[in-house]
Amino acid sequence: MNGVISSVAVISVIYTALIFLIAWYAHHRKETGRSIISNPIIYSLSLGVYCTSWTFFGSVGKAATTGIDFVLIYLGPSLTAFSWLFLLRRIIKISKEHNITSIADFLSRRYGKSPWLGALVTLIAFLGIMPYIALQLKAVSTSFFLLSGFQKDPNNYITLASGTTIPIALLLALILALFSIVFGARRLVSSERHEGLIAAIAFESIVKLVALLAVGLFVTYGLFDGFIDIFERFRITNPEKFSQLFTFAVSRNDPNYISTFTLLFLSMGAVMLLPRQFHVMVIENSDVRHIATAMWLFPAYMFLINLFVMPIAIGGILTTGSSSGADYFVLSLPQLAGYRGIALLAFLGGFSAAAGMVMVESIAISTMLLNHIFMPIIVLFTPRTWFPILLINLKRFGILLVVLMGYFYYRIIGDSYTLVNMGLISFAAAAQFMPAMLGGLYWKRGNKAGAISGILLGFLIWLYTLLLPSFSKSGWIPDNLFSNGPFGITLLKPTELFGLTGMDLWSHSLFWSMLFNVSSYIICSILLNQNEQEREQVHKFIGIFGHDESQKRTERKRLSKPVTTDQFVTLMSKFIGESEARRALQLYSNGRNITGDGTISEFELPDLKRFTEKTLAGSVGGAAAGAIVNNFLSDIGSSMEPVYDIFSSVRTNLDQNRESLFVRLKASEIINRTLDLQVIMDDLLRLLVKEFKLDVALIVKKNDEGTFSIVSSQGEKLSPTNPPHLCLKNVPLLNLVYHDKKTHFINDLRLDRAAVTLDPKTDQSYISCAHIPIYREGEPVIAVLSLLSKTIAGLFTQEFIELLSSLAGQLAQAITIVREVEAKQLERSQKEAALLKTARITRDMEIAQQIQKSFLPDSAPSIAGVDIAGRCISAALVGGDYYDFFLRSRQIVDIVIADVSGHSIGAALIMSEVRTLLRAEANSVHTPCAVLETLNNQLHDDLSRAELFITMFYAEYNAETGILSYSNAGHNHPVLQRRDESVPMELDTEGLILGVKKDVLFEERTIKLIAGDVLLFYTDGLTEACNSKGEMFDLSGVYSHLKTCLHLSAEEILDSFYARIHEFTGSQNLQDDISFIAVKIL
Amino acid sequence: MKRLLSQMLYRLQLPESWVIFFILGIIMMTFPFLHIFNKPVLLFGVPLLFLYLTAGWIISIIVIYLFMIASRHGSRPTDEKDEL
Repeated sequence: MNGVISSVAVISVIYTALIFLIAWYAHHRKETGRSIISNPIIYSLSLGVYCTSWTFFGSVGKAATTGIDFVLIYLGPSLTAFSWLFLLRRIIKISKEHNITSIADFLSRRYGKSPWLGALVTLIAFLGIMPYIALQLKAVSTSFFLLSGFQKDPNNYITLASGTTIPIALLLALILALFSIVFGARRLVSSERHEGLIAAIAFESIVKLVALLAVGLFVTYGLFDGFIDIFERFRITNPEKFSQLFTFAVSRNDPNYISTFTLLFLSMGAVMLLPRQFHVMVIENSDVRHIATAMWLFPAYMFLINLFVMPIAIGGILTTGSSSGADYFVLSLPQLAGYRGIALLAFLGGFSAAAGMVMVESIAISTMLLNHIFMPIIVLFTPRTWFPILLINLKRFGILLVVLMGYFYYRIIGDSYTLVNMGLISFAAAAQFMPAMLGGLYWKRGNKAGAISGILLGFLIWLYTLLLPSFSKSGWIPDNLFSNGPFGITLLKPTELFGLTGMDLWSHSLFWSMLFNVSSYIICSILLNQNEQEREQVHKFIGIFGHDESQKRTERKRLSKPVTTDQFVTLMSKFIGESEARRALQLYSNGRNITGDGTISEFELPDLKRFTEKTLAGSVGGAAAGAIVNNFLSDIGSSMEPVYDIFSSVRTNLDQNRESLFVRLKASEIINRTLDLQVIMDDLLRLLVKEFKLDVALIVKKNDEGTFSIVSSQGEKLSPTNPPHLCLKNVPLLNLVYHDKKTHFINDLRLDRAAVTLDPKTDQSYISCAHIPIYREGEPVIAVLSLLSKTIAGLFTQEFIELLSSLAGQLAQAITIVREVEAKQLERSQKEAALLKTARITRDMEIAQQIQKSFLPDSAPSIAGVDIAGRCISAALVGGDYYDFFLRSRQIVDIVIADVSGHSIGAALIMSEVRTLLRAEANSVHTPCAVLETLNNQLHDDLSRAELFITMFYAEYNAETGILSYSNAGHNHPVLQRRDESVPMELDTEGLILGVKKDVLFEERTIKLIAGDVLLFYTDGLTEACNSKGEMFDLSGVYSHLKTCLHLSAEEILDSFYARIHEFTGSQNLQDDISFIAVKIL
Repeated sequence: MKRLLSQMLYRLQLPESWVIFFILGIIMMTFPFLHIFNKPVLLFGVPLLFLYLTAGWIISIIVIYLFMIASRHGSRPTDEKDEL
């Protein structure tokens, strides 16, 4: 047997060493700033501390005795996970903000920092957790006995061969306490996060999961043939038991869902409210975002760890034939089958589960004990140098006490309860925090009296109906208390309180305790009022999630490192210089207990704070120094705030100062938040009204007519349409402010009335007022900030006025900036609009130009004996130039060139109309003059309406006869150059411009063209083309150039004219389109 | 369709939506629903109630997981303006 013990012992020691190694590594990583704990998976695993040896051993026990309802203990928390996104996140945010150290701290802070509530919660947690710790000790020590094969004597002693006896359970308790002390209470520093502990817990979570899965797989697939095999066999061999285990109490023919609900409810509460769960979930949380992962990973973890519970339980029943000793099936099944390795793994898993739970629980509760039971007493004494040592040892003592209480509880109740039933007692205790917790988070009225009375009543009922009966078999309490009730009053029987029968122990206790707890909480909260401090705390806990946006934004980070002297030096250096600061600190630390690395214990802090204040006061004055240090400390946060409060005597007179700092900060936030002036002004006034308890705050502006109008107002309802009386009343003052740009204020109207003449008819209800000019240095007053108070005389102290003036200055700055920005924006948008418009028009013009160009013929018709070419050179915009050829027969071609006046879209449209008409006209045989006459009549109305004119030259050339017939409607005369004549000749006939008058007669002439003749039709763009000197190309230019290109073909003549014009105008853009047609007789 | 989906994912990121899931879960775990499955019979060789609880559990875990993934890819702003 000794061999077994030693092998178990060796493995335990190695395992323990491994855990320490992990914890040390995590701690080391944290010190070097690369935390492995700040990780959502580690966070989720650390939540697995919920699964203790209750889960590891007890679930199987419960599954084998009462059936599948064991799973409710885990379904509850899985359901709770749905609520984490709003519930847990909120708790964590509040806790980080206020540097909360435990659930007792959380509740007592919420209810006005009540020390009594903190102590009560601590006491309940301390007593309530006893059965839970006992459960762990029982599970591990029993499993040890099972594994080692020793007979268990009533005292849990084992007697070795040498004759020495070892009290195993006690030894285990001491070992676990030692673990906890090493992990959780080595040093007393402000930091409450224990990275090493969490790493160990997460590792243990993995170990217990692996161990239970291994056993599950072994039983399900090793001993049996899978899930279905186990279920089938069980149903055949033991159908009655089958229906009992796989339903909720159907066997008794009364499907009683009360106990189902009780289990669900208890576990839902426990997963968040048990001190250790609160600790790992909230206090040790390093990042709120980890919740998202934990929300599914933690339920998944619980699912996995419970997957094989049912098969193991049934496998156990099938193997052993009964469900006695089912609590240890996990261990006994592999052992019976002869697999010691798996049994050993199971033992380690159970040990991990127990150790993790005991460590976190005892550390969490000892922190509560220290802060809420020991500290309030200690601070009554004068500080001594050995106090820090006392404190750390008190914390260690707390841990030991918690574990030992569990041990004694176990000794008292012995083996009369199964594991799960012991654990449920603790769950029921933790459930007592639920009303105060939820109410505290969401119900503003919930107050201290309600919380204390509710928790106290619930606790007393729990004590009486649940904890007391658990002692029944110990013989401590007379039996007839349980059978007949106290003093023979059956109505008060602990298990059937007020005659309520037919419920199981836990539902019964839960019902009564919750009934009294909730009703007392609600009734007291409604009937009694909150005091000032409570209201302040309510605002901090609930208010921050409502309207107060800015406070949330400046959320402080929890300080993961303890406060060090270096931080104080840095703070002081900012004001008095570094060398001075170091010298001051040196002076201070002489003969004081400051550790080598400069961390300051909780206890040292108040002294150092006072010292720092004093030092700073030398250079910045007492009040400011106080504010600086207070702000600094509140930024860092501290878990033992009451200690500071005792020492900070100067605090009251600092409030004013802090207030002004706060207001300045908020004001600058408001101003920077938006560019909407109205919003800025409204928010600023609202802030002033709220912070300084003013009745009315206004911003008043003088109009051009000299009257005043209210731009923004906060406080009492004012009608904007009807200039309010208070504005009228203050007109003299306002005028004064506008005049001399100075602040004018009256601290007590009743005394000062004589100083300024005010209209006596108006309402006199305001007793103090101030008018502050809003202006920038050297610029006129923009508006006036007016503040009025009905109740407070003497409100406007010099300091306050300074603050207000500086706010007004900031506001003026903001107004100027906003105005500049607005002006710029307006200018920019106007420019953009103009650009956009131009761009649109340009695009339209371009399209029009494209279309217009397409109206012109692509190429000239080819007729034997004559060479014709036409071209249009566009100027920048659309124009009215037009030329066309109509081939009437193989010998006869009509040539037309026209120019619509103006360069508008209108001209282009008319041109297209002309083209349409001409094309229609050209199909019937007409002489040029007849064409022009018809056209004139048709176009007259349109042209005169559009106030446009058309010049047009129409010619008909018969190549067979060589006769050119032509008519002109005021167009430029085409030029005919004959080869052997030196002077060109112009073709002209009588005729009026089209569109001037109806029924005009056009003259028609003919000329016979001979070979070598070159005829040039052109529009006025050609003769009017200007060069850079402003000279026109003119007819003479046309004549002289035409002479030089007689030998060229028609197309080449146009090319050469194009080049010539280009040369002539240089870089100048063409003013007008140029169209020309060249006709060369071959 | 796609817009509807993203809209839904957005809503699911609101804490309020999770209140509904929470309540739904509790309802599934109380009398009427449990009563339906509270029968000592085997379905696919597995006890009915065991199957109901196990399947329900898995589904709830998957649901949370999927929505967490979705919200991580989805728009961030809801992360900031948290709480009821």
